[in-house]
Amino acid sequence: MDLKALKAQESKRKISKGYMWALFCAVFWGIWYLPGTVVWVLNPFDEMYSAIAETGGDGTALIITAVLITAFNALTVMLALMLWNGVLGKYGELGRTLKEFHPCSKWFFLASIFGGPMAILGSFIAMGFIGGAFAAVAALLYPVVGSVLAYYWYGEKISRRAAIGIGVIIVGGVTIFGGGLLTELSSGNVQWIGYLGGLMAAAGWGIEGAIAGKGLDISEPDVGLTLRFLGENIIWWIIIVPILAIVGYPMYSFALQAFEPFTMLVLIFAGITFGFCYVCWYKSFPLIGVGRGQGIGNLYGLFAIIFIFLFFGDVPQWTILVGGTLCVIGSFVMFTEETSALETLRGE
Amino acid sequence: MGKNRPIKFRILELFLDGEGHWNYEIVSKIQEEYDMKSAYGRDSINFDIIELASGGMLKDVEQKVDEKGIYKKDFLLHKYVITDFGKVRGSDACIRYV
Repeated sequence: MDLKALKAQESKRKISKGYMWALFCAVFWGIWYLPGTVVWVLNPFDEMYSAIAETGGDGTALIITAVLITAFNALTVMLALMLWNGVLGKYGELGRTLKEFHPCSKWFFLASIFGGPMAILGSFIAMGFIGGAFAAVAALLYPVVGSVLAYYWYGEKISRRAAIGIGVIIVGGVTIFGGGLLTELSSGNVQWIGYLGGLMAAAGWGIEGAIAGKGLDISEPDVGLTLRFLGENIIWWIIIVPILAIVGYPMYSFALQAFEPFTMLVLIFAGITFGFCYVCWYKSFPLIGVGRGQGIGNLYGLFAIIFIFLFFGDVPQWTILVGGTLCVIGSFVMFTEETSALETLRGE
Repeated sequence: MGKNRPIKFRILELFLDGEGHWNYEIVSKIQEEYDMKSAYGRDSINFDIIELASGGMLKDVEQKVDEKGIYKKDFLLHKYVITDFGKVRGSDACIRYV
């Protein structure tokens, strides 16, 4: 075969593999909202919620319960990723990368602060208070946060096309948040904390992406992601959960009760789907580019709505459907700008 | 230096001389240094190089067909050079140890 044919073949192989990984990411990410929503009504989390609500009020109860759920989510993601690294034979590389604190792992630990206590906790709060479809679609705003941050932080230019995409996503965001708020304002009962959770998810993931990129581009993504979740586990299990326990919330007694077969099964399901959605996401980037990877990955919002409909029979409000569609369209406009730049994504 | 640093650091370091290097040269050097002699090890190192290139740290400057099977018969071989961005990131990660 000649050089030209081989080049075409190689790039075709790369692109089809890349789209496959990105699509897997979207499917796993969308599925994650199923265990994430179900876990709220399972023991011990429902009991924990009502026990704390009796003395501390609904809002506090929800946040404290969300902390414990997020902590377990981090733990099961970590288990899934350790298994994954074991299969790939990457424990050696894991140790080598962990030791490089200054150039590398500090970025993962910093990223985990925004990814964990902000984005994932916010998502669980939004799922608990408003619902899985809202939580999924609200987080679609994250690219706006990410690109604004990159603009101020590393002076990355926002092209006209990206700006149009951002505009479309923001209109989508206003529809998603505004639609729900209007209905609730008229009934006089606004779930402010749930909306705040949705905003936390979008802001947290946007910031996490901008920070984690600095460590990920010089490490292996499988390893980098594991370190990012190591950071999150430290935050939850060594810092926040013990502090809440000292303040007097029954964290440990309820945490121990989570080791019930069905609850564990749902938590492990959450860990596997979430862990692999991250892995697939990063695998797609070198093959089709960060832009296309994120664009396809954002289809998760629609997958989440479809899965929630199939499994729970919930039809979301029309504002969520319209807003979610706008966000996905916006992310395609924003991300798929340079068609010729498949080989090198960043400027030289 | 050798095998106590993350693989991508070492790859960048090898490119920091500013010369063009073929992927098979880098891959077999890393395979040797990190004791990753299986076909899986080879492909995983090559994927690291592809990732570095897609991150804008290396640039693919030349390709040729592997007719003799020095790397993988009838596949493409790629020659890369480090970019300015790669030099910055590579120096952040590597220079202080040199």
